[in-house]
Amino acid sequence: MRGCSKLDSHPELQMPCRKFGAATLATSLAALFLSNAAFAHDPVFSPGPHVLFKDGIEVHAEYTRNKARGLSDNEASVAIKYGLTGNWVVGVELPYEWERGSLERESGIGAVSLSTKYRFWRSDRKGIQESAAIFAQLKLDTGGYADTGTNDLMLGLTYGYESLKWYRWASVRYLFNDDATPDKRGDRLFVDLAAGWRPKVNDYRAPDTVWMVELNGEMTQSSTVAGLALADSGGDQWFVSPGVMWTLRNFAVKAGIQIPIISKLNGDQAKARYRGLVELEWHF
Amino acid sequence: MNKFKSSKLVILLLSWGAIIQPAYAEDRLVQIRVDGLACSYCAYGIEKKLMKLKGVKHVDIDLPNGLVLVTGSDDLKLDPEKLRQLFEDAGFTFRAIVQDDGLKAQ
Repeated sequence: MRGCSKLDSHPELQMPCRKFGAATLATSLAALFLSNAAFAHDPVFSPGPHVLFKDGIEVHAEYTRNKARGLSDNEASVAIKYGLTGNWVVGVELPYEWERGSLERESGIGAVSLSTKYRFWRSDRKGIQESAAIFAQLKLDTGGYADTGTNDLMLGLTYGYESLKWYRWASVRYLFNDDATPDKRGDRLFVDLAAGWRPKVNDYRAPDTVWMVELNGEMTQSSTVAGLALADSGGDQWFVSPGVMWTLRNFAVKAGIQIPIISKLNGDQAKARYRGLVELEWHF
Repeated sequence: MNKFKSSKLVILLLSWGAIIQPAYAEDRLVQIRVDGLACSYCAYGIEKKLMKLKGVKHVDIDLPNGLVLVTGSDDLKLDPEKLRQLFEDAGFTFRAIVQDDGLKAQ
């Protein structure tokens, strides 16, 4: 428990520290998945301003894999979203997670998340849609595998420019971890930039392909125990993430891989080797 | 004998043509200018909403020209104000009905 090194002079804190360390690892993984709030025709790893049409329903299935030193964890989740208006969507997500360490394998159904996104600005031109949206995602204290027993809230702002040939997106997200101080997991800030390119504009009923590349930044505050920062927690990571989006009418497949380019993690933490994501979406 | 068979075939084809022609003759083609059409997946909501309107038989979308092409029967009624709301609910901006001159759909 190197992360508790600052607490070595406080033996009474070592047990809570040990428990908190395990929880930090598990919840940081949960937070990783919580951070993926992409909808429909948005980038693969970051949110965009896209919403559903009014009274539309979207079924979203997703598989994520995170490989780090000595650890791999996986999540499959199902989400259902509903378009309240042409600019406002709400959804609910249920994940199933499993992770494999050097000695053991654990799995289970995770905590339920609720999400909403409101597109507050839209500028439409011929063959171009430019828009911005705010969104929120709340991981509920519903229990389940690796659950923190907290209600964690993420708020975000996103902008997107979509044309027949080129795409660009930008977003910023902040995850508030709902822990009682002085024991607290560090909050997280996500910054994303993305660009997309459609090689060919096909007919409305023909398949459509958009290639994308993203720059994803994650800045995590150090966690604290009894008000003291854990040495092996927090830090910054940046990823370059190529991806592709393929659609046919109301069915979409998205896939991408996050490759770390900068990992400035505090202390001794497992650095990400890669993260992969595949999504299937169907709206009707 | 062969000549007789050929004549019967011609009569049959003409009769078939006479039967099916009215079905096409009743179709109307309406072109609607819409802004924001940048991807077919996103535009699916337009098709879904238009297909619920009485008289609409087919919807196609011309993304490069920003056109929504509606084929329907004679009782198809497209009111600009209702279309404005329909496209808003689908997440796009209605501009105008640019063609509704009773052209026969192919």
